[in-house]
Amino acid sequence: MEAPAFVENFDPVWIAIPFFVLSVFGEMLFSRLTGKARFEARDSAASLMMGLGNTVSGVIFGGVIGLWAVFVYEHRLTTISFAWWAWILAFVLDDFLYYWSHRWAHTVRWFWADHVVHHSSQHYNLTTALRQPWLSPLTLKFLWLGSTLIFLGFHPAMVAFVGSLNLIYQFWIHTEAIRKMPAWFEAVMNTPSHHRVHHATNPLYLDRNYAGVFIIWDKMFGTFQPELDDEPCRYGIVKNLGTYNPVKISFHEWWGILKDMASAKNPKDALMYLLAPPGWSPDGSRATSTQILARWKARQAGEGDVPDAAE
Amino acid sequence: MIILWVLLGSVIGISAMVAVNAWLGLNTPARLTGLDDAIARLDTDSVGFEAGEGVVAPDGKSALVTDAAQSRLALLVARGSDFVIRYLEPGQVRSVATDGTDIALKLNDFTFAPAHLAFETPDQARDWAGRLEALQG
Repeated sequence: MEAPAFVENFDPVWIAIPFFVLSVFGEMLFSRLTGKARFEARDSAASLMMGLGNTVSGVIFGGVIGLWAVFVYEHRLTTISFAWWAWILAFVLDDFLYYWSHRWAHTVRWFWADHVVHHSSQHYNLTTALRQPWLSPLTLKFLWLGSTLIFLGFHPAMVAFVGSLNLIYQFWIHTEAIRKMPAWFEAVMNTPSHHRVHHATNPLYLDRNYAGVFIIWDKMFGTFQPELDDEPCRYGIVKNLGTYNPVKISFHEWWGILKDMASAKNPKDALMYLLAPPGWSPDGSRATSTQILARWKARQAGEGDVPDAAE
Repeated sequence: MIILWVLLGSVIGISAMVAVNAWLGLNTPARLTGLDDAIARLDTDSVGFEAGEGVVAPDGKSALVTDAAQSRLALLVARGSDFVIRYLEPGQVRSVATDGTDIALKLNDFTFAPAHLAFETPDQARDWAGRLEALQG
């Protein structure tokens, strides 16, 4: 099936870039005037360089991924048209797949090695949204998760288009400048408040709110956690990086996995270092998000301060 | 050719954003107000951290705190407007160089840039340098 010309020759992300830039300037000005958003020039520089590197990576690896998409489309189950309802269906299904891809990006260290880049800033502002990995194809997720809709029969150009819209939506939620959206919006959509929780390292907030556009997926699959007034977000990763070097930011977890696998005492441990949740170790000397949360809850219970349970 | 123009534009855009960021003075450098502040941050960072003795740099940019429960040393270092924390165990310190009241510290951790730790007196610096050297590997 031929794709409409505007889909073939139009990537919404490129059109959105000037909007991204203006928004960052706006948020900086907001920060200067109100003090309600935090910036650090070197951190922002690192994030923006990561974003640029991600674009270059997309150009380099794009050909391979594109060829794979064409191959999968040639072996699709059925053919879905470019009708208006197909666009809506593709957008919603893409967001559903994004939820699971994102959830596994936090719970499988192989995928986390890629995604940790996006979480590696201790700041939460619009430049953080642009802090993106360079080596995403190494997760090989494009072979299966990224191709699911194409295999079902959606045209690759349509899948790429709705994927871009999903990414663009997620840009504006990386801010502390907006506290809460209207209640109806917070109930259905991913918002700055929900996504702040996702970027926080507070034990209660770890591995919560994986949504891209619709927060309903987290509510359906038990990973939703609202932002609490008495639990302000602390951003970053469990072991924060002490560097602004984009190359080190990009490669550090991949290198960590290789080192751990090389030093593993047996093949099973080596495989677990790759596939188990981040923080797993054979001797329990490290801690996964689940273990960190359990420790925290145990202490809170001991102090008689039981936290609000995640929904 | 288009991609080169896009890259050039991106570099200019990034430079402008970083320059405005710095010009507006949005960064508030991280500083510790005292040992209690350092211990509170460690307790938040590592649930159940049991602080032993510790020392905070006179400039508030760093702190070292012993772990009363395990043979490790907690290190807090200001990086921009935040602190980076490491729990140092044997083998994690690469080098320790003492110069008067200062220590230049390198870790076997390429994500942690070399740190300069300040102390009140040369004796205090030597004391903590000795503890750090014991973790060299």
